[in-house]
Amino acid sequence: MTATAVRQPKATGPAPAAPAERTSPLARRRRRLFWPFVAPALVLYVVFYILPTLATAWISLNTWAGAGPMEFAGIDNYRRLLLDPIFHDSFLNTLTILFVVGGATFALSFLLTIILREMAGRKAVRAIIFFPNIVSGVVLSILWGFLFQAEGVVNQALRAFGVDQPPNWLGTENLFTVIMIGLVWVQTGFFTTILMAAVDRIPKDLYEACDLEGANAWQRFRHVTFPLMWDVVGVCAVLWSISAIKIFEFIYAFAGAAGQLPPTKVWNTALYAYAEAFSSGVPKYGSAAATGMVMLALVGVLVVVLRRLFRRDTVQF
Amino acid sequence: MNALRRLPGPAKLLGSPFAWLFALFSVAVAVWMLLTSLKSTRDIFAAPWALPTDPHWDNYSRAWTASDFGGATVNTLLLTVGTAVATIALAAPAAYALSRILTRWNSGITAFFALGLGIPSQVIVLPLYVMMNQLYLVDSLTGLWILYVATSMPFTVFFLTGFFGSLPKELEEAAALDGATPNRTFWQIMLPLARSGIITAMILNIIQHWGETLFGLIFLQSEENATLSLALLGFLQRMQYNGADWGGLFAGVCTVVLPVLACYVWLGRRIIEGMTLGSVK
Repeated sequence: MTATAVRQPKATGPAPAAPAERTSPLARRRRRLFWPFVAPALVLYVVFYILPTLATAWISLNTWAGAGPMEFAGIDNYRRLLLDPIFHDSFLNTLTILFVVGGATFALSFLLTIILREMAGRKAVRAIIFFPNIVSGVVLSILWGFLFQAEGVVNQALRAFGVDQPPNWLGTENLFTVIMIGLVWVQTGFFTTILMAAVDRIPKDLYEACDLEGANAWQRFRHVTFPLMWDVVGVCAVLWSISAIKIFEFIYAFAGAAGQLPPTKVWNTALYAYAEAFSSGVPKYGSAAATGMVMLALVGVLVVVLRRLFRRDTVQF
Repeated sequence: MNALRRLPGPAKLLGSPFAWLFALFSVAVAVWMLLTSLKSTRDIFAAPWALPTDPHWDNYSRAWTASDFGGATVNTLLLTVGTAVATIALAAPAAYALSRILTRWNSGITAFFALGLGIPSQVIVLPLYVMMNQLYLVDSLTGLWILYVATSMPFTVFFLTGFFGSLPKELEEAAALDGATPNRTFWQIMLPLARSGIITAMILNIIQHWGETLFGLIFLQSEENATLSLALLGFLQRMQYNGADWGGLFAGVCTVVLPVLACYVWLGRRIIEGMTLGSVK
């Protein structure tokens, strides 16, 4: 779970050095250290990250089984994806996770941020709800799936409340809903923590001013808290988009009795890409690569759109 | 606090119970996980909330020997610690140079590293598989270690660049005046100074790889190389043939979660701050 803003820390955009500093012998000796220090990390990054990305772009234009001859296919792989109903479901699920799970997570995180701001024991609650974030997705998936078993805890609770015929949660028709609720449970703590940190930075005297003016809770949120959190909300939206598209383990481990992979109805594009390359009969690297490129494009579009949406003059405070 | 005085009554009344319920739910899941790992499969379904009457420690011994969670734990431990150490060894000098040695390349390279944060693993995994296959590094812990280190670069460099940037400049100048070479200044002064940032970066790295699944699934095949997530997935799969052994499965789940939980109780604040740092600046 990598999570840091995709915005540069202020310290890294070095101001142009003064001429004296640029030419002093010390500065020159230090500059000689630059490439030896940067090169190893940079080479590793280029070889294992950038070149593979470019290679995937190329593979997506070919028919290839991962070994043997590669046959140029133009945009055939992309056309096949457009026609494949399983890809449609997967893509739709990715979008559903992005917007529905994202929307629910953000709504809940805002709510908790407001509640926790004014509550005793906020640190404890924050620490607890953050914890699922650092637990392996496979574990979370096993726990979550087990809660919703036919004889599991959720159904026993429902029966205790008089529901005689609890739904078959892990059946194909309900499984994706169960997965989405689970994702909200896991993610909310992370975004609540970030939003809380943003709220904590808002100076107290602004709220005192609100009190003097007689603002109610909603007005206070609408006119003080929300505008001053806007930038952070934008960063959260970018972080969410990137991590939401990558979600894999949590869905993968719901395979249950279906064999190697969960039913295709709950796949997202990450699972689709995996299945095309690594679990169908003949590996279809071309369409797996094309799926990867679709995911990358989705990340790119979302980041650009979100940055535009959230760009405005920063409120200094 | 002033802010709470004006909260409308019902919202205030319902708000904190709701927050506590949300937190209690997670606690309940954790407690229930621990209880379940000590019960027989029959008791798990008959009385999910009862304390285990006679603790079934054999769940653990079964998971550890028959399903080899023991071996998987050793593999994962070696892999995660090895990855964290190598990652820091490569990323710290790079981050230091990027934040402290001014050349015309700094901002460009820093942004270039940040780009990697947006590339999903699914995009790079196919060429990596072909490449590792040709190097005979598939189904090898060394191969996976190399991949983990390489894919840790964007985040770790990015994280540490911000951190080195926040350290005071004066010490470097003082060291230079005392005649220390820039190289020595880094290893003997800046690196120890950056200790807390480096430790945080290592913890985050270890936590991230402790439960890593996608690369393990693709790049490891044999059971003796399995990491903890793969051991869990293998256990799930075998249950379909050998019948449900939920007690054993949850013993395995606890084996994965408890070290992370211990780490979290010990270093929680640092972990939370590390993972959310940079979002709020």
